[in-house]
Amino acid sequence: MRQFELTAPTTVDDALATRGTFLAGGTTLVDLMKLDVLTPQQVLDINGLPLRGIDTSDGLRFGALERMADIAAHPGVYPVVSRALLLSASQQLRNMASIGGNLLQRTRCTYFRDVAMPCNRRDPGSGCPAITGANRMHAVLGTSEHCVATHASDVAVALVALDAEITLVSEDGERVVALADFYRLPGETPEVENDLRPGELITEVRVPRLDWASRSTYVKVRDRQSYEFALCSAAVALDVQDGQITDARVAAGGVATVPWRLRAVEEALRGKPVTLASFEDAAAEATEGVKPLAHNAFKGSLLKRTIIRALLELTEGELR
Amino acid sequence: MTARVDAPLKVTGQARYGADHWFPDMTYGYLVLSTIAHGRIEAMDVTSAKNAPGVIAVYTPFDPLVLHKPSTFLGETWVPLQDREVAYYGQPIGVVIAETFEQARDAAMLVDATYEVLPAVTSMSEGMATAEDPPPSRFGSQSALELLADGVASIEDAIAASPVVVEATYSTAPQNHAAMEPHSAIATWENGVLTVYSGNQASNLQADELAGALAVDGDRVRAVNPFVGGAFGGKGRTSAPAFLAAAASRALGRPVKAALTREQVFTATAGRASTVQKLTLGADKNGILIAVRHDSWCSTAMDRSFVEPTGQGTSGQYYTTPNLSLSQKIVPLNLPPTTFMRAPGEAPGSFALESAMDELAVALDVDPIELRLRNASTAPIGKDLQWSSKHLDECFRIGADRFGWSERTPGGRTDGDWLVGMGTASALFPAGRFPASVELTLRADGTAVVSTSGADPGTGLLTVLAQVSGESLDIATDRVTPRLGHSTYPAGGFSAGSTGTASAGTAVMVAAAQVIDDLLGLATAPGAPFEGVEASYEGGAVVGGGRTMPFGELLHALGRESLTATGTSAPGEEVTKHSFGSFGAQFCEVRVHRWTREARVTRMLGVFDAGRIINEKTARGQIAGGMIWGVSAALHEALEFEESGRLANGDFAGYLVPVNADIPNVDVEFVHHPDTLHNALGAKGVGEVGIVGMAAAVANAVYNATGIRVRHIPITIEDLLID
Ligand SMILES: Cc1cc2nc3c(=O)[nH]c(=O)nc-3n(C[C@H](O)[C@H](O)[C@H](O)COP(=O)(O)OP(=O)(O)OC[C@H]3O[C@@H](n4cnc5c(N)ncnc54)[C@H](O)[C@@H]3O)c2cc1C
Repeated sequence: MRQFELTAPTTVDDALATRGTFLAGGTTLVDLMKLDVLTPQQVLDINGLPLRGIDTSDGLRFGALERMADIAAHPGVYPVVSRALLLSASQQLRNMASIGGNLLQRTRCTYFRDVAMPCNRRDPGSGCPAITGANRMHAVLGTSEHCVATHASDVAVALVALDAEITLVSEDGERVVALADFYRLPGETPEVENDLRPGELITEVRVPRLDWASRSTYVKVRDRQSYEFALCSAAVALDVQDGQITDARVAAGGVATVPWRLRAVEEALRGKPVTLASFEDAAAEATEGVKPLAHNAFKGSLLKRTIIRALLELTEGELR
Repeated sequence: MTARVDAPLKVTGQARYGADHWFPDMTYGYLVLSTIAHGRIEAMDVTSAKNAPGVIAVYTPFDPLVLHKPSTFLGETWVPLQDREVAYYGQPIGVVIAETFEQARDAAMLVDATYEVLPAVTSMSEGMATAEDPPPSRFGSQSALELLADGVASIEDAIAASPVVVEATYSTAPQNHAAMEPHSAIATWENGVLTVYSGNQASNLQADELAGALAVDGDRVRAVNPFVGGAFGGKGRTSAPAFLAAAASRALGRPVKAALTREQVFTATAGRASTVQKLTLGADKNGILIAVRHDSWCSTAMDRSFVEPTGQGTSGQYYTTPNLSLSQKIVPLNLPPTTFMRAPGEAPGSFALESAMDELAVALDVDPIELRLRNASTAPIGKDLQWSSKHLDECFRIGADRFGWSERTPGGRTDGDWLVGMGTASALFPAGRFPASVELTLRADGTAVVSTSGADPGTGLLTVLAQVSGESLDIATDRVTPRLGHSTYPAGGFSAGSTGTASAGTAVMVAAAQVIDDLLGLATAPGAPFEGVEASYEGGAVVGGGRTMPFGELLHALGRESLTATGTSAPGEEVTKHSFGSFGAQFCEVRVHRWTREARVTRMLGVFDAGRIINEKTARGQIAGGMIWGVSAALHEALEFEESGRLANGDFAGYLVPVNADIPNVDVEFVHHPDTLHNALGAKGVGEVGIVGMAAAVANAVYNATGIRVRHIPITIEDLLID
């Protein structure tokens, strides 16, 4: 870790006026500073800013500094969101980590985290050892020849499924961006992970009201039972009426370079009866465009199975 | 059950581990590691490192700290910086000493090594083609063995003549001990005497190694390690930071603290070898073994310093067979060194043998427990010396009952969307002893002190020393102060090979008999309180002539502060009469999700015959720890090396060990049969046997649940995906 200067602005205006790297829970930032991956000279502790509040009266609204643990425990938060949070990290980390920081957490690609290795995301143009290296954990969707790192956030997958939006402020003013549009595929510029502009602050996360998201869940498949990132995950919400699926939201994590909305799966579910066959047919749509690497060819199959499992869990006792 | 005597210190954070010490004027060392797997260092540019703030010295092979390879009964131990050869990625090639840890670390990043890169062999599959015979074993164990019944020409013939044959190849992953305490040391020199604070498995052994490495007399080195944060075989030898701290402290005349980072621990120490094992079992229609063939390969470092022998402790011991063939090859690789790790040989070997036995049970349609009991050995195969005490059948009987084994069906069962299977395996670990000396002191305040050099890396040895001393002196345990982990104490209590309790415990008994004898001598001497009386020792007191005097009172009356005796014990005649081992029957239940195929252990039980159990609490802790590690080996742990030799998962984010959610209650039971043919205390070992059968029990349960036989560990989701 390098020496850095730490200040703690108390108003949003102050925070925006000072150039520096924001520190919320610090569970990504400090971790990567210790590894020398991030070397900010000026760190702004934003925990004193009034970016708080959890409101579930009309959809969901979270201040960017709300902790993962508090959101997960809040009544009225759609199950897919609270489950995605509860299956993330550990209780200690969830007590520290903020929702805003969560959405900006960096990939867990081990090459990104090891400064002795090249990485196009960290050091543009230096190369991507993951493509030929240890890539079991890596992405099979949304990859490019420059980067195959997965997006690591669980809750972002749930939020993308629910059409969440984030509010961003900078000295230029405020804007609202759909979370799904916020993230960028690596393409030719893997170092650009999202649409965040220099000095811009996330102030709020909003999820439009979706009453039937009360029937939703997040299934996370991983190499151990807790405290591990997803090999594959599925965020699913289902609207079922009289044994027919009238609407669905499906997104996947652990398999793609950004939280991966699966509109084709949603489409295939709509109007179908609640049967295993409907689920299997729809899940088959999920693997469109899958590009396996040497050690993760299983992820296509696992993706389908994870979606089917989530659908089955949401329709227990109703399957025909 | 006596609680651990050091528990309050540990849970309140008062126990001071090696790196917890602090000295005024202390300096900090940070190691520099190689970034190639094979080659020669051509140059190391240390100019900017030397000029960096706070830097005191930079040592490299071009400007080394002189260290000699020490030689002990473990053989030679490698010391860093003495040549320019690089044999693996992550090898210590330098050390920066600075005023603060941060300065040392930052400067270490500035050291620039250039290499002549040579071709590296980094994978087992690549290295198998050029596998070699192992060097002769230092411990007299045989790695190749062939026993054939009369009239049988070859093992192939014996197999060919067997009505039922199973043959398969199994493999196990390389591992790191991943002890909670990273390898570290603080070294100080005072008046020509070196004191090193560093976690290890025997303080006297570490002192010997340091004396050898620094070419100083043994009495000029003190190794101090009252608390050790886990060792498991990985702290038997002295670590690179300890050698470097000791040498740098001598060179600089200041205390030096050097600790590996967690990431460095994964390469700059040594771990468990990879193994490949080909097993062939031939049996008759009743499942009685006719032939066993176990061909083993293990990885080793390029210096060929360690062999992980997988056949000898398993197929060579578990099951009676008239025809047995064992072979062992080593595969030298440009990877970090290998060394002892909990049940070295037995743990990976048992995964192969006990999986193969399960396959044989399936082939014969015989209950796996029944198959094991039908073939249970009465002695190591081909040896005349019978097991002194073996109650494996009782372990299986109790275990099967307690686990509900009778409910197991050959195809497993389902519970909702979970496929549920049960598996079993037997476990064996040889019981042995190392020579040990122990000092026992009676004090005028009515307490006693027991001391031996060794180490308690969490095993409970410290508590057991107090207990055995209390028992031998016929006083309450809390009147005994146990002391361990200082090389100036009598040499004993090496925490290796599951020998600690049996070795040090018997020495305590000898010391106690001696000190009681001496006490009676003093008591009845002319002018003493029991002069001319027939005196005896009972309940911590001398009794005779109608009087009873507690030893404290007596010492007081004699004007003495204390009375000390030393007891020594070593393996003796018993090894010419019997073979010795701890045995276990291990069970587990595994659930595999029908759709997403995660395998999770939901229940496990181990029933063990480990002789007399001195302390149920610490013994259970040892066994449960072993069983959990077995689950870890079966489902999680593996070092993943890239072709370049770089470790791809050298931290706790990538190197998975189970978390609490992966480990259900661990049920441990003992059958209590003191083995006094082995030693007077009747104790055998509990440190290693708990891990031995676990991985196979898990794999066998996975098979029972899913019908999928996975012949490698760890077993991960993709192994169980069928499309
Ligand atoms: C061991 C471990 C395990 C984990 N496991 C999981 C897991 O299973 N699933 C999962 O989803 N996550 C997991 N995480 C990641 C964790 O969820 C994130 O580290 C955390 O959510 C980040 O939040 P934070 O508040 O600590 O962010 P910080 O570390 O403070 O910040 C992260 C980044 O966001 C920026 N930032 C923070 N807040 C704002 C804001 N309001 N506006 C603009 N920029 C901002 C910072 O400058 C920084 O670049 C794990 C982390 C660790 C260390």
